[in-house]
Formats: sequence, structure tokens, C-alpha cells
Amino acid sequence: MELALFTAVPFCLALLLATPFVRRALNKSSQTILTALVFAALFAWLIGTLPRVQEAGAISQTLSWMPSAGISLSFYLDGLALLFGLIITGIGALIFFYAGFYFDDAREHSRFIVWLSAFAGAMLAVVLSGNVLMMFIAWELTSVTSFILIGFKGADDAGARHGAFKALFVTGAGALALIVGLVMLSAAAGQLLYPEQEIRFAGDFASILQATTLHQHEWYLLFAVLILLGGFTKSAQFPFHFWLPGAMSAPTPASAYLHSATMVKAGIYLFARLSPVMHPNELWTSSLLTIGLVTMLVGAYFAVKQRDLKGLLAYSTVSKLGAIVALIGLPNQSGLKAAFVTIIAHALYKSALFLVAGAIDHATGMRNIDRLGGLREKMPVMFWVTLISALSMAGLPFLLGFLAKETLLDAMLHYTAPWTQLVMIIVIVSTAFTAMAAYILIYDVFLGRPRKRLHIHQASGWIGLGPALLAVGSLCLGLLLEPILIPLLELAVPKSFELHLFAGFNDVFILSLLVVAAGFLLFLLRKSLIRRITFPLSGDAVYREFISYVEWAGTTILHAQSGFVRYYLVIILGAVAAVLILSGTLSDVAAGQQILPPNPSVSITDLAKIFMLFLTVAAGLLTIFVREHVRAAIAYGVIGYAIGVIFLINHAPDVALVQLLVETMATVLIIIMLGRIRTDARVKVINSLWTERHDYRLGLLRDLGISIVIGLAVFVFSLNALQNRPDRHSIAEWHLANAKAVNTDDVVGAIVADFRGTDTLLEVTVFTTAALGVLTLLARGGARRGSLAPGKAPGGALHEFDSSVVDEIQDATSLSTPFTRSVSFIVLPIAILIGVAQILYGGSGPGDGFTAGVTIGLAVSLWYVVLGYNEAKKLLPWFRPALIVRLGLVIAIANALFPLLIGQGFMGHVEFDQALGIYDIVGSFGLHITSSLIFEVAIAIAVMGGLGIIIEAIAYPTDRSQDAFEAAAS
Amino acid sequence: MTEVLFALSIGMLFGIGVFQLLRRDLIKAAIGFAILFSAINLFFVTVGAFEGDFAPYVSNVEAGRQTSDPLIQALILTAIVVSFGSFSLVLGFVNIISRRYDTVDSNDINKLKH
Repeated sequence: MELALFTAVPFCLALLLATPFVRRALNKSSQTILTALVFAALFAWLIGTLPRVQEAGAISQTLSWMPSAGISLSFYLDGLALLFGLIITGIGALIFFYAGFYFDDAREHSRFIVWLSAFAGAMLAVVLSGNVLMMFIAWELTSVTSFILIGFKGADDAGARHGAFKALFVTGAGALALIVGLVMLSAAAGQLLYPEQEIRFAGDFASILQATTLHQHEWYLLFAVLILLGGFTKSAQFPFHFWLPGAMSAPTPASAYLHSATMVKAGIYLFARLSPVMHPNELWTSSLLTIGLVTMLVGAYFAVKQRDLKGLLAYSTVSKLGAIVALIGLPNQSGLKAAFVTIIAHALYKSALFLVAGAIDHATGMRNIDRLGGLREKMPVMFWVTLISALSMAGLPFLLGFLAKETLLDAMLHYTAPWTQLVMIIVIVSTAFTAMAAYILIYDVFLGRPRKRLHIHQASGWIGLGPALLAVGSLCLGLLLEPILIPLLELAVPKSFELHLFAGFNDVFILSLLVVAAGFLLFLLRKSLIRRITFPLSGDAVYREFISYVEWAGTTILHAQSGFVRYYLVIILGAVAAVLILSGTLSDVAAGQQILPPNPSVSITDLAKIFMLFLTVAAGLLTIFVREHVRAAIAYGVIGYAIGVIFLINHAPDVALVQLLVETMATVLIIIMLGRIRTDARVKVINSLWTERHDYRLGLLRDLGISIVIGLAVFVFSLNALQNRPDRHSIAEWHLANAKAVNTDDVVGAIVADFRGTDTLLEVTVFTTAALGVLTLLARGGARRGSLAPGKAPGGALHEFDSSVVDEIQDATSLSTPFTRSVSFIVLPIAILIGVAQILYGGSGPGDGFTAGVTIGLAVSLWYVVLGYNEAKKLLPWFRPALIVRLGLVIAIANALFPLLIGQGFMGHVEFDQALGIYDIVGSFGLHITSSLIFEVAIAIAVMGGLGIIIEAIAYPTDRSQDAFEAAAS
Repeated sequence: MTEVLFALSIGMLFGIGVFQLLRRDLIKAAIGFAILFSAINLFFVTVGAFEGDFAPYVSNVEAGRQTSDPLIQALILTAIVVSFGSFSLVLGFVNIISRRYDTVDSNDINKLKH
């Protein structure tokens, strides 16, 4: 539980910072201090768990989620997770502090830290997850938040948008491979671990790591490749490395945090996590080694060529990531020690260098190395930070980077294979190039000639604190092996090891010095070298080519979109027919079960049903044949009512009630809307469809043909379904037996409000979303409005049409008579009473919150129809739909969450009257105050508000200005 | 007997709805859309809630009467509500089109991209 809370903290922080109230209450510096302190506290807490992890090996906590499917919300804190967690929280705290001085604009700053905090939560969830699926969800969350952070300046910067999309595209594609791989891995582990059980899915890392024979599983090849793909894309390995330099358009604190210290190491984390069970197979190790080495070389080589400060850092990050991947790929896990030392060292020096780059960018407004120089005088703190960090990067004794390079060289030297020589050459060349890049950073930026035109905009001195602390880490951690580094590594590295900062003048040390010197030589030759560096094929070009093909395909497919519904229908129908015919089930469908012998005795209810069916079809045909739209709408209402009566006869009173109310509402809506559409437009369409066009018969026949085919198909299908009705051994029996437990007589009501309450919650959400959709459409979409008041058709136009049609349309009389007005005044209070009664006694009769909301909504819409928009709005000042919807949804969600507080599930059943001791008092009125009742009230309020929004939006007079409408809508 | 009639009515309603959708009159197309919803709901009720001669109430169950299937009814309740929501969205579209393009004839609308 505590690990779950721990992981939730950054998310909660993000939510908190996103609330407008908090944003206003806290200024920039207090937000900075708050975030930095929270992450420092998380860091301290993680250190506090160290003794427990040392003792137990791993802390594992599980919240049950879908136990039957082997999926749980489980957390797993072992040495590996601890190491990554410390990097995430520790560097996180410094980055948050730094960000407070990096951004000048307070609004940009608070937007940034919201997303950065959410990212930190996702990243913590990745490393603390004990279950593959949970880890995958967090993994995707890091991609999404990273997308937002890279595209942070996307509103004005096309480069940021492209970079963000590229990163999401590459990592997202890799994640698709990863999920398949992880599921297969868990299934394979489940097969090995629980051969007897029915569901064999081992999703927890703790159990996967016990499947020691996994590397012999027959699926191994497939899932290993898929998982490798996922990790390679995430950790920017060749040939997927190109997204990382593209991601440098992120604000620098994000680059430092996501794209050097944490997120790009997620793939590495996954490889290290799965390494115990995966490494015995040659495929795993050699892929990691090969790809890692290639990435290491390519990254180091490209880094020195970069003129952009952040580009250089990005490519050298790619190179280091490659080195770590290669180390994990060494046989027998012999490279793990070196890998973890490199991860720590790299996180410290590279994020410090990124932060320096950000400070330089902030101070001078540029990042081009050729135009920078001599910054030492102006930015002394940054100079010292760069000196220490870059030398650590180059691997000078006795910084932490030196230790990393020593262990790297040592591990590679002990690797024995026929191609060891080649491996060593690649490693030495890459580290020499890395050293060269480090010297470039120190000399070309801070020493060298000062540029005269450089304008320095000094930031607060506090901006140097984060980088300085990181530099201190690079400086001291190498000397503090015994107290700090070794205990941490002992937990993460599976086998015993030795670690010394200085192991004597052995060949590793000599090699190490050689590399440092070679790097310096390269540095001296940089002017002539850099120009010669080219590479025939870049991953970025391939990516661009691919994207252009995707766009081409999209455009081509778009040409097939004719815009005519009939063609789409023909294609859909054709496809369905093709599938049916090819699958061979058509003969089954046609043969069906034998049609039941006709039941000769037709009861009275059957007669009623037949009559209603006849009515339905007749009214349906009428909607086609009447030309005038109002009459068609009323005919449609008849269909709805007839179906409602059929529901009633079929012993479904609740459904019947809802059907009758909803159909009334729908018919009213059509009629209200007709008043808003210009008469001549309606006359024109009627004319052109029925009389005007000379070839209308052809179109008629075509449409008739299509619809008869569809109708016939539906007929055959439903006849079949009716012959093969499902039997009743469903959960319905359980519902019937248990509805009494929730104090309801009406089982349908119990299902809606209680057993399947979450469905209803979603349903109401869908409904209100649709209402908001109508509002948005009509408020924003009506750009060309103006004088489109109904009935005011321009003179002359009408005379061109068939006079009978014009008469049909224009004889609409005003509905606002004294009689209708008094009726509508009386109806509203009665409707409210009926609504309240439906909610309170819905448990013992048809009706629930939904019908209550619709009943009141109908009465309100009557006012709009009879009195018109303006008067109704004036007479009903309390009816503010947008507010009412919010109120309803808030009550519904609060009611759903409340049971969680008292230890029940989401939307659990709570008996408030029992708890308050008033059960008998309210019971004597036939009432039960339960969470279902409150839920019904919330639904009624939300539905009433949603309907109100729809009515207001559709009834809104069209001849007013846009502004007035938006003011009314808000 | 009634089964065949039910299936026939559902098929006809469906055909009517599709026919309306195919016509160029957007208002009637909206009505056709709603008819399709009604037909589907009718289909579900007739397929699902058929057995039993009483409404699904606890009192009916306790009296030993055979009630109709409550689950399918609860599902149809949801379906009706959601279909009403989408129907109002369709009406909103028709409304906005008529305001923008000054027509309710789908053939006259050829620049939906802007």
C-alpha cells in the first residue's frame, strides 16, 4: 500500500498544481519550493527503505485487480528499482528547483511543472511496477507526457511539434511490439510455473523471474525480439536513435530529466529487469551487445559534429545508452556492475551539462557552439560545473566518470569471443570521441575567445544550485565508494563484485589514460576532422521517407471518399455480404433452426402486439410519404409510442416509460428545430426530392433497392435471432434473487442504479457529453448566421415553388395562446413533483432518476415551445443548464467515490439511513435513503441539465449575435 | 406467428430508416436515424425479454411468478438514453448545416472541409 501511495504522490502533485485555485494561491517561487521539497522527500523516503530492501531482498506489495486473469496492481521494490527510483526522485528535485529559475513566465512555468510532475509519477510507476501490464501502462504514460513536454513550445514552433510527433511515433511503435512481447512472456512464464491451472498468466515480475527455464521456451525467439524492439526504441538505440536529437526542442529542464537521466533509461531498466531469465540465450545477449556497440559508436561519432550544444549532448547520450545496453548484453551478466555505475555517473554529469546548456541558452539566447565562447568570466559557476562534469564525461581520474569508464573497459576486456578485438576497438574509439566532445564543451564554450556581440541576460544565482550539486556528486561519489555506492550496487547486481576507484597501474588504467589522451589529440584536430564527418544514411531520412509514404497513402484513400452516404452503405453492405458468403455461415443463417410451427392460438395480447406493430410500420411509411417535415416528425412520434406500448405488453414497464418520455422529447426537439430552419430551404428540398428533378425516379429506385436489401437482411437476421433466443441461465437470475438486498422492488431499477451502476454513470457521462457537443456545435459552428429568422424568407423565392407545398409549410400558427400558456405554467410544477416521486419511489415502481430528469426537461421544453426562447429564459432564471449538469455530475462522482472512503468498492452500496439511525422514520414513508437514491438524484439533475442545454441550444433564436449566445451558454 | 411479424416489422423499420438516410433531405435523414434506433431497441426487447408473464419485480418473484428478463431491459434503458443523446447531436448537426449553408439538401453541401 505504501508503495502505491508513494507512486501516487507525483500524480497528486500534478493534479494539485493544475487546479486554478492552487495556481492562483501559490506564486512561482512557492511552487518551485513545493515541488522540489516533495521530490526531495520522496528521495529521502526511498533512502529510508534501503535497510528493508537489504534485509528482504525486495519489498513486494499487491493490490488485487483482476486476480482471475493474473493481473494485479502490484509494486516491487528491489535494488534495481531502488537505484532507478533514487535517480528519478533525486535528480527530479534538482530539476524542479532549476525550472523555477529557467522559466521567466510564471504561467509557462506552472504548466511545465504540472506535466513534468506527471511524467515523474509515470516514470516512478515504470520502475516500481511489479506487474508487466501495469508497467506497460506507465511506460506509455511516459511516452505521452514526454510528447507533451517535447512539444511544449509547439504553439509557435513547428520544429517542436515535429520532434514531439517523431518521438511519440517511434516510442509508440516500439511499445506496440513491447505489449505483445510482454503478454507472450507472461503467458510463457505462466505455462512453466503453473502447468495445472486453467488460467496460466504470470504477469508479476516476482513470478516471471522464477521461471528459470524461460529461455528454452518455444516462443522465446518471438517475445525476446518484440521486447528488444520495445526497449531499443525507448532507449534510442540505433537505428531508432534519431528521435532523441529531435526531442531537444523540449525546454532544457525536460531534456535534462527525460532525455538523459530517466525516460531513455526505461528500456535499459527493462533489459536489466528481465536479464536474469533472458540472458542465458545467445539471441538476447548478442542482440544487446551488437546494437549497443553500434549505437555507442554512431552516437559518439555524430556528437562531435554537432554545432548545437544540446544536439551534442543528445548524441553523446545516445552513445552512452548504447554502452549501457552493450554492457547488459555481456554474457553471464558480467557487465551489470559496469552498467549501473555508468547509469549513475551518466545521470549525474549529463543532466548537469544539460542544465548548463539551458542556463547558457537562457542567458545568451543561443546554443550554437560556433557563436559561443569565453563564457568563463560571465558565468563562473557554470564554468566550474561544466569543467567537473565534462571531465567526468571524458573519464579523467578520479571523478565518477572515470570509475564508469574503468568498469566499462574492464568488463569489455574480460569478454572473450572471436571478435573481442573488434569490440575493444569500437569501445576505445567511442570513448575517445566522447572525451573529445567533453573537451569541446569546456574549451569552445567557456574558454577560447570571448565573443563581443554576446549579450548576457543574468538569471538568478539560484539557477546554479542544481547543476552545482550534480557536479559535486560527480566529484565526490567516486571517492565515497564504501559508504554510498557499494551498498546500492550490491542490491542491484546479482553477483558479488569488487569495486575500486584505483586498482593499480594495470592495463585497464593504462588504456583509460590512453583514451583520455587520444580524445585530446582528436580535440586538437577538430577543425579539420569535423568537416569530414559524414554518414551516408541517417535514420531521420528513412523516417521522413516513411512518413511521406504514410501521407501519400492517406491522400490516396481520401480520394475514395465520395461524400455520398449511399456509396458508403454499398461498400459496407458489400463487405458484410462478402464476409458472410466467404465464411460459409450464410447457408446456416438461411437454413436457420426450423421455423417453429405456427402457433394457431392467437391471444388478446398477441393481437394488441400485432396492432402496434402495424401502427409502427404504417407510421414509418408515413414519415416517407408526407412531404411536410412537421407531419413526418409527428409520425415518427407515433412509431416511438407504439414501440413503447409493445414494451409495456412485453412486461418491461421501466423501458416503456423511458421510451415514451424519450420519444416525446425527440419529437419535440425535431419540431423546435424545424422552427429554426429557413422555410425556403425546406421548401426547396421537398420540391427537389419529389417534383422538381426530371430524373428523380432513378434516384428513388436506387435508394429503394438499397433499403429493401438491407430491410430483407435485417428481417432474416432477426427472424433467426428470434428463433434462437438465448436461454435464461444468465446473471439475470442472480439479479432477480438479490435485488431485495438493496431494498428495491424494481429489479431493473436495482440493476441500473446499483448492480451495474458504473454503466449508468458512464451512460450519463455520454449523455451530458452529447449535450455539450450540441452546445459547442451551435455556439461555435454558426459563423454565418445573421438574419436567418424563421419564416422571413426573401420574397419572390417562394413563388418559384409548387404552391401546395408553400401552403403546407406556411399555415403554422402561433402556439402562444392564453390557454397553452396557462397549461405550461401548471405543467412545470406538476412535472417537478412527478420527477421527485419517480426518484423517491422508483424502487417500487417504474421510473428512476433518468425518467425524472426527462419529465422535468419536457415541461421546461414546453415553455420554450409555447413562450419562445426569450420569455422562457426570463421566466426561469433558476434554470441554468450548464451549472445543473455540473452539479449532477459532481454529486454522482462524489457518491461513487464515497464508498471507497469507508472501505468498500467504487460505487458500493451504502445505506445512509441505517448509518444515521433514521431507518425506521423514513421507512414509515416507504423510503430508503441509500447511495442508489443519491445516485438517482444525481442522474436526474444531470439529465435535466443536459436536456436543458440541448433545448436552449436548439431553440436559440438565430437572429442574435454570436456573443450574446455564448454569454448565455456560459 | 408473432415472431415472424416482429421480424418483419423490424426489417421494414430498418429499411425505412435506411431509405430516409439515403435521401437528400437532411431533416428526414435525422428522422430515419431515429427510426433505426427504435428498430434496434425493438429488436433487443423482442429477442431478450420474452419469457415470463410478469414485470421483473421482487414482489412478483416472491409470489413465484415467472418474470421477464431484467438484465436486457436495463441494457435497453441505457441504449435508449445513449441513442437519444446521439440523436440530439444529429439534430445539432442538421441545425448548424442549415444555418451555414442555407440548405437542408445534402447535395448542395459540397465544402464541408471549411
